[in-house]
Amino acid sequence: MRKLLLGTTILGLGFGAAEAQTLNILMESVPDTRFVEELLPEFEAATGIDVELEVVNYAEMHTKLVPQLVSPTGSYDVIVVDFYWVGEFAKAGWLQPLDERIAADGFDTSVYFDSLQDLVGQVDGEQLMLPFYNYAMGLTYRHDLLEDPAEQAAFKEKYGIELRVPETWDEYLQQVEFFTRDTDGDGKNDFFGVVNQGLRPDPIAMEWSNYLFANGGRFHDESWQPMLDSPEAVKAVEDYKRNLEEFGPLGAASFGFDEAFNVAAQGKAYSYLTYNMFRTAYDDPSQSAVVDKMEIVAVPNGGLNGAWGWAIPNSSPDPDAAWTFLKWVESPEIAKKRAMLGGSPTRKDVFADEEVLAKYPYYPALENLLATSHNFPVFTYTPQFVEVLGRELSLAVTGEKTAEEAMQTANAELEALLKQDGKL
Amino acid sequence: MLVRRAAATILPHVVLVVFSAAILLPLLWVLRVSLTDKLTAYRIPPEWTEPRLDNYIEIFTAYRFADWFSNSLIVALASTLLALPLAVAMAYAFARHDTGGAPLRLGVLASQMLPPIVLVVPLFALFLGAGLLNTYAALVIAHLTFNIPFLAWMLVAFFEGEVRQLEEAARIEGATRFQAFIRVSVPLAAPGIMAAGLLGFILSWNEFLLALILSGRATQTLPVGLSSLETHRGVEIALLAAAALLAILPVFVLLPFLRKYLIKGLSLGALK
Amino acid sequence: MAATLAARDRRFGQLMAAPGLAALLLVIVFPILFTLYTSAFDFTLINPRHDTFVGFAHYARAFGLAEFGNALLVTLWFVVAVVVLEFAVGFLVALMLNAVERGKAVYYAILLCPLLINPVVVGLIWRMFLHPELGIANYVLGLVGLGPVNWLGDPRNAFWTLVVVDIWHQVSFMIVLLLAGLASLPKEPYEAARMEGAGTLACFWHVTLPLMRPVILVTLLIRLIFAVRTYDLVYIMTRGGPGQATDLVSYFIYRQAFVGLNIGQASALAVLLLLIVLVLTAWLYRHMRSLV
Repeated sequence: MRKLLLGTTILGLGFGAAEAQTLNILMESVPDTRFVEELLPEFEAATGIDVELEVVNYAEMHTKLVPQLVSPTGSYDVIVVDFYWVGEFAKAGWLQPLDERIAADGFDTSVYFDSLQDLVGQVDGEQLMLPFYNYAMGLTYRHDLLEDPAEQAAFKEKYGIELRVPETWDEYLQQVEFFTRDTDGDGKNDFFGVVNQGLRPDPIAMEWSNYLFANGGRFHDESWQPMLDSPEAVKAVEDYKRNLEEFGPLGAASFGFDEAFNVAAQGKAYSYLTYNMFRTAYDDPSQSAVVDKMEIVAVPNGGLNGAWGWAIPNSSPDPDAAWTFLKWVESPEIAKKRAMLGGSPTRKDVFADEEVLAKYPYYPALENLLATSHNFPVFTYTPQFVEVLGRELSLAVTGEKTAEEAMQTANAELEALLKQDGKL
Repeated sequence: MLVRRAAATILPHVVLVVFSAAILLPLLWVLRVSLTDKLTAYRIPPEWTEPRLDNYIEIFTAYRFADWFSNSLIVALASTLLALPLAVAMAYAFARHDTGGAPLRLGVLASQMLPPIVLVVPLFALFLGAGLLNTYAALVIAHLTFNIPFLAWMLVAFFEGEVRQLEEAARIEGATRFQAFIRVSVPLAAPGIMAAGLLGFILSWNEFLLALILSGRATQTLPVGLSSLETHRGVEIALLAAAALLAILPVFVLLPFLRKYLIKGLSLGALK
Repeated sequence: MAATLAARDRRFGQLMAAPGLAALLLVIVFPILFTLYTSAFDFTLINPRHDTFVGFAHYARAFGLAEFGNALLVTLWFVVAVVVLEFAVGFLVALMLNAVERGKAVYYAILLCPLLINPVVVGLIWRMFLHPELGIANYVLGLVGLGPVNWLGDPRNAFWTLVVVDIWHQVSFMIVLLLAGLASLPKEPYEAARMEGAGTLACFWHVTLPLMRPVILVTLLIRLIFAVRTYDLVYIMTRGGPGQATDLVSYFIYRQAFVGLNIGQASALAVLLLLIVLVLTAWLYRHMRSLV
């Protein structure tokens, strides 16, 4: 009935529409989704466009999207795309280029971080998405312990260097070892230097990428030649395995990010290398026992970047209304409001906003995270490569393969996938 | 002798109590988690906090639990009620008249041996072509694809055996084939039909993949909706616990009905 | 006269089966034919067209896929474990339930509870219980001096953990069917057996088991097919890991289709799986029926 009334109103106003315009959006369940949902009434009031926001589990989103995108007309006007589907979606031509609309409306895309434009903005010079929110990985650690004079003295005595926010990878590994303890004297460690997310495929693959970069390794060289059989990559696997086995909790080989976060949030770990949006979660007393005790910093050598982008699929029934929404949701005002609610912004102006900085003093650290981060290889078969890498790492961690064997297989399979994609 | 009798009455209860405890204890822990927050849920050793109903309120206010629940109820009831008569008739034909023989029987079941994931693309195309996407009809029809074969297979067993003679007696007394089917075979197979209906409801209630790709915002079912509580910033475990317990509610709606059927089932003949 | 009677019977049977079959044909035949057809083409989601015929290449490739072989093997063990264990527990509980009157509806309602929770939620809840550091399972074991157990982080444990969670979730499926079977058994054979002085065990062995055979057969077959289809639980709990310890074939095919985007290859694997399960089912069906 409400729809009908609205429809007649619009008809009366001379918009010529037979019924209320409805925009269908498909999103995954991320914190930012809730904030967008909260702000939707503003959009509806400003434009008269009704929004139907459908939210699905992030892991299942791909399964839901693909049949939609393959067909000529789908149900969704606007979708969000994870960075590791970008190569695949671009190759299949499922997304509408936004360049003409951007030029026509003078929408400024220079406000986005370059690393995010590379990841979830432009593909081969075409703007296929607008960066929506970032989940670059960083090192979260117990700053209360790090700043404790007793700990500092003990650390200096043991390692001969200062205990400080780690600037080198070796320094961090020493801290991990240092903080791993048996606090109740039962012969088993119950406070851990690090908690890892060893679940196949993306949790372990994403987390390990930081170990790779930290060791100076890379996935491939400038000409896409894979470099996973390098000594740096093998060392990264060994570091990872050692952290997980010697300095981490039992069962970390099966942890997803939820299990790992809970170990850190319960105050049982010194550090957790994870997505930056967990920084906010540590300060939420309903899920964390370490409120105000955790801080985030860039991984030495730069960590892994990650982000989602807004896109208009080719199967979109109403691309014009979709663009109206994109312009609104990525406008400076709304982007700022989302950040104030606790979102993960992608625009530089939001990071520079005084109100935002006053509320979230750790934003400069996040900005640094984005500026120093490295991208995962984005090509058509990225998801498949994540599977391969996850499997091989898991085999190495459980001792079914050596680090060398695992990396050789991963390297060979990456090469095969790159060849299949024509990159090699 | 008396001791043996007593043991024979007590033994089943011992087994059943142990089994029920194995089922219930985890659910009681879920109940406990549903009355607290995530921080407390993961506190070891456990800490007891004042029970709160926040989670039960939040799944209705911040999430669309009521819609998910009613959508699931509509789809599961409709697909079971549609599938059941078709499956009963089919099972009867298979059992009594061996219609199509073993190849047809196995053929009907073979359609369920493909992993459903490969059927996603063609099924989506089918429903897109029929203009049924995002409707209840799509979900109900899609759920018939597994409910009919499974229910028919479950029911075949209940139309075999002793029933035949009773039915023939009815035929001799002048009943038509259909009358004999309705008045003799169906009542005799009632426990099976009830059980199959119940399981059909459950299959549909829990179905995830087809519901995921064929539903829209308005028709999202419970499994699809609840999976969104596994978010990119962790699992909303306390909300999930509350939702899981509410998802069990249909059992209590069914309980009076079940009681009647269970006792009726007994009266048809049993061990004693 | 006899011939016409038989013909009428046959026609009645066809008439009864027709509506259900028609409904099935309408929705399931196109997807199945599509799958068969697609398995012979280079059909990917990037290029969703039947324009490159590859014949049996996908099938040939399947035999060279070490991961597929591993997945089939893991699935075989998983199916055997859950079907056998759930049948053993399920039949025992069904027999006991059939023997009581007091509290029957309460027991029955309790056992239905796990069935009404969908696998995704079951998986997430059990991950919470089984968290080695923060879960209630290891805490309770610790109170009696056991553990801690690495439930999901060790390849061997992870497989059995998955089996146990599946049993908790699905065992009632068997109980419901088996109990219905027990409830519809006729009384007379038992009375006859008692007259001959048969004890409880003899009654069970010589009367209950033979009479229950059709229901048992169907219960086992259906549970077997469901076990082969298991993928949600693995997806939530282990993602096939650690290593490849829990990589069930349905989850492997899911990855081929929606991660690898290779629908042609996934279809071929699915058809192979169908053939394996079909042969197994037909064999079990014949074998068990001939015992009747």
